[in-house]
Amino acid sequence: MMKHTTAIAFGMALVATPILAEMPRPDGLSALGDAPIPASNPQSDAKVELGKMLFFDPILSGNYAMPCSACHLPDAGWAIQSPISFGYPGTTHWRNSQTIVNSAYYGKLFWAGSSGNLEHQARSAARGGVAGNGEDDMMESRLAFVPEYRERFNDVFGDDWPSIRHAYDAIAAFERTIVQTDTPFDNYMNGDDAALSEQQVRGLDLFAGKAGCIECHNGPLLSDEKYYNTGVPAYSGWEDDEIAQITFRFELYAKGSTEAMYRSTKDDPGLYFRTKETGDKGKFRTPSLRYTAFTYPYMHNGMLETLRDVVDFYNAGGGTNDFADNKSALIQPLGLSDGEVDDLVAFLESLSGEELLVEEPDLPEMQPLPAAMAAN
Amino acid sequence: MIRTLTVMGAMLAGTAAMAQDSVPIQPMDVNAARAELGKRMFYDERLSGDTGLACASCHSPEMAFTDGEALSAAYSGSMHFRNSPTLANVGYRAAWMHDGRLGTNLNDVAREMITETYLMNMDMRIMQERMKQDPKYVEMFAAAGMSEPSNGGARNALMDFMKTIVSRGAPVDTGDLSEAALRGQAIFEGKGNCASCHTGPRYTDDQPHNTGVADNPDIWADPERHSAFVTYAKFMGVENYMNLREDLGAYIRTHQEANKRTFLTPTLRELTWTAPYMHNGMIATLEEVVDFYDMGGGDDPLKDASLAPLGLSTDEKTDLVEYLKALSGESFDTDEYVWREDDFDYALIEDWRNVQN
Repeated sequence: MMKHTTAIAFGMALVATPILAEMPRPDGLSALGDAPIPASNPQSDAKVELGKMLFFDPILSGNYAMPCSACHLPDAGWAIQSPISFGYPGTTHWRNSQTIVNSAYYGKLFWAGSSGNLEHQARSAARGGVAGNGEDDMMESRLAFVPEYRERFNDVFGDDWPSIRHAYDAIAAFERTIVQTDTPFDNYMNGDDAALSEQQVRGLDLFAGKAGCIECHNGPLLSDEKYYNTGVPAYSGWEDDEIAQITFRFELYAKGSTEAMYRSTKDDPGLYFRTKETGDKGKFRTPSLRYTAFTYPYMHNGMLETLRDVVDFYNAGGGTNDFADNKSALIQPLGLSDGEVDDLVAFLESLSGEELLVEEPDLPEMQPLPAAMAAN
Repeated sequence: MIRTLTVMGAMLAGTAAMAQDSVPIQPMDVNAARAELGKRMFYDERLSGDTGLACASCHSPEMAFTDGEALSAAYSGSMHFRNSPTLANVGYRAAWMHDGRLGTNLNDVAREMITETYLMNMDMRIMQERMKQDPKYVEMFAAAGMSEPSNGGARNALMDFMKTIVSRGAPVDTGDLSEAALRGQAIFEGKGNCASCHTGPRYTDDQPHNTGVADNPDIWADPERHSAFVTYAKFMGVENYMNLREDLGAYIRTHQEANKRTFLTPTLRELTWTAPYMHNGMIATLEEVVDFYDMGGGDDPLKDASLAPLGLSTDEKTDLVEYLKALSGESFDTDEYVWREDDFDYALIEDWRNVQN
């Protein structure tokens, strides 16, 4: 019986393959290759291992209690599964925590693209007042008191004393290993016709065709890394969370606003803070759609809970926010049927593989600095 | 004529300064509403980054605004490498910090304490918005003539509150000195030579001196203290900071060899409230402080030349301690100096979309 079933399945596959093989893969999409490694920060096993320790070590924060992993938890999609990242103690963050998975491929980190590489991103996150709230001199001092770090920084970077810049290099090197290139989608794009279900293939057709997702979500990362206002509504916490109200005003103030703008703005101006162009208000960098099975909720402020909510959102032609004048003309009602919405959601699910988990490292602690070192 | 007047003025000023030795510290001129605002802020832990520390955490009114520790506590993840100084009469100081590195005003002192990474580690832009989220602050800023909570206003308010912290009712001011204390005063001004540095109404010349106080080994034994010290030394541009195993004091201002291990003469007001003593808390009692100077201070090649063994008898030392105790006044643990209500709450801004930020 079992043999018979297998034979039938095999036979079906044989029959099915030529049909699928005739189906062209859509232009503008491709499997994900190896992560780009900058010449200025080459990978090595020792550097990655050090970066992994530092990623999980609270030593790189103001209060010695907020590691990178606090807001990028491996078992929460290497992010935080709530709308807004919770932020430094006594504060809340103001945007959704983005996954580390495949962050190696971005040329623009953070929702408004304020960092050009992971090294810079790590530093900004460690220092931000509602993130790590650390200060470089202090964090660098602490590293010097950990014998194992002295040894490892010397081994990897040749440092006499651990350099904070090298700490960020090591973290970036570790993050470049947290990649996923074997999703059903990747396997399909690499020629495995059976990697996607028929429903997912229909979803892919919609993605690249009728739904127009591919206009922005293209390339191997499924992001064009450009900036759009899609009409995501303002974060609801600004209406009902006093700590969020504090952080919102702080960000307006800290990121540079005119007096008039500081007084009246009630929604996240996004890209505006970098360009100071009114037409950029409410724009955010297109996120990758990879690993999204684990990175709910969605959008820069987590205002959409499920992938179906996201598809429904775009099917309705996006939403409305405070910067409606800047809403992208690409965002129009799609007229997808319920069945088509199902198909598109099924396709989006093919962009995630297995959950990526790592064994957390044992962390070394600060020790008194031997007096003998004074003779060095 | 002008020259004559100037000379006379200088003479008068000189006379007044000497006479002040035996008069009470005068209250400072402050804006009362602003000082009241500063008083609430002084006890508010939301002025630190992780809301774990208030100014009062290390400057407790029960101990004349010190913390009773040899070396002070500090921000989460750090410990301090110096003794928390009294804030009594702090508004009259010419410079602040044991090394005197802040020489402008208390507004700057407040900023330094609040923003320094190993102290309160507060991004003051967040602090400002925290205050705006507390209706009591909004009300108090308005009462103090400021349109809304702001960083600058907050620092001025803390400055005014600190200026209100003035010694009151010390026996040396009221004239209620015991026989022993009177004998001690004579030693203080004479044989003990204490008054050569501990001069004026606050009993300090506000100058740095090396008295040979021993190093506090706890700084180097505790990586949380030592790493805070390294952060400080690095920021101050001290050479070879990783291998330093001594607090160089006011040297960090001049980088001149002669200034190594010099520290500002501390006030002698409120001593009975503020043990242990010295910039690093290395001396536990006033008796031991007197013994220390009786022996000519500590052991340091750069020690101040004016320090020499005093040859005081046991009785003389006892009398001197009695005089030192008479420089202490009433407790600051009173309603005038303490914000008693635990009312440090935020309020949601209702109708958020229609209210101006």
